[in-house]
Amino acid sequence: MEIRYQRHIQLKEIGIEGQKKIRNSKVLVVGAGGLGCPAMQYLTASGIGTLGIIDPDVVTLTNLQRQILFKEKDLGRNKAQSAKKHLQKLNTEVTIQAFPFALTHENAAEIIGEFDLVIDGTDNFYTRYLISDQCVLLNKVMIYGALFKFEGQVAVFNYKNGPTYRCLFPLPPKIGEIPNCSEIGVLGVVPGIIGVYQATEALKVILELGGILSGKLLTVNLLTHRNTVLDFDKNQQEIDKIKKQGKPIPIENQDCFLDFEVSLTQLSSKEKIKWIDVREEDELPRVTHLNPINHSTALDTLLESNKKIVAFCQTGMRSKIFVQKLKNKGIENCFSLKEGAAELKKWNQKSQV
Amino acid sequence: MIIKVRYFGQLQEVTGKSEEHFELTLDTTASLRRFLKTLYPKLGTMNFKIAQDNKITSDSSPLKGQLIDLLPPFSGG
Repeated sequence: MEIRYQRHIQLKEIGIEGQKKIRNSKVLVVGAGGLGCPAMQYLTASGIGTLGIIDPDVVTLTNLQRQILFKEKDLGRNKAQSAKKHLQKLNTEVTIQAFPFALTHENAAEIIGEFDLVIDGTDNFYTRYLISDQCVLLNKVMIYGALFKFEGQVAVFNYKNGPTYRCLFPLPPKIGEIPNCSEIGVLGVVPGIIGVYQATEALKVILELGGILSGKLLTVNLLTHRNTVLDFDKNQQEIDKIKKQGKPIPIENQDCFLDFEVSLTQLSSKEKIKWIDVREEDELPRVTHLNPINHSTALDTLLESNKKIVAFCQTGMRSKIFVQKLKNKGIENCFSLKEGAAELKKWNQKSQV
Repeated sequence: MIIKVRYFGQLQEVTGKSEEHFELTLDTTASLRRFLKTLYPKLGTMNFKIAQDNKITSDSSPLKGQLIDLLPPFSGG
């Protein structure tokens, strides 16, 4: 250990004792994207004990402009699993756990419970509030990072019972108010820099160094270099609200989180699609030739399917819940149809002509 | 009193400016929020925090800072 981490150990602020603290730490990174990748690379190199990576998405071509952990051959593969593979080569001493599904209200307590601190590399408010609430309930530190074009924000929440994300932004943005992850451009290096800020704060927390961004919001503008640190107070009412509830409170704005919904207008009749009817057998209209299956028994066979999976029901509500369950099981290429069975039947008849 | 207002993130796009100066006397940050929303109606629907002299304050706080920052939450990651 001494040689590999010599540059750490040489620092009087770290030394052998500090390096042991790093080796004993367990960090969860939520979102293996623009922020998560660089944070994970530095944390893995630094010799943390356990790294958890949770992400339901697959690597796409547009990711490669900034998520420099990934290679072209990762395209179409799950991000958490691909990241694990590359990071393990960087440091075989780190225990790396990949969770190839979304962090949800159902699984957050169990997953976050296994770690000491959580790096928020998400691109949506729904998951961000979930992480914040769960960190309050489990007394974990949350390292926040987010960006907009050339700007970034960084803060450390719930550090020694300090302020949380809800103390800073008690009101979640309304639906459509803030452009979501895929709608805005970003200069590739910006998430790299913000993600490395997050890794820096994580290491400072692990090493119990001073100057942690607790109760402070760092704003960085890489275009103008107007960087600011703004103080903010704890809002005990917001924290008590979560503690009283005993579980995270979902926000209404599900922005990117529901990107797995798909509309008929986004589908082509030429695509090979495995359709799943998640309704009861007596619900009409039947879309018979689209192989409806008994969804309670079919999950295992779906795992083997390479086809795009689209679930549907009467209104798109039950199929959404069903697809979330599939995602939690690590099935990636699945979507929920926004329209209902009646529209699907019409669409199908039209495309037969 | 002359105050300098700095806009962050998408607020720069709404106002078309990164910062500007105003000479005005207002009692609270809520009054400042109303003043700015009148000036830039698109701000009306937006969610942002107001910091005075590098300290984020509530809307009932007296307006006494000379450097005002308007901060929306960021989503990207």
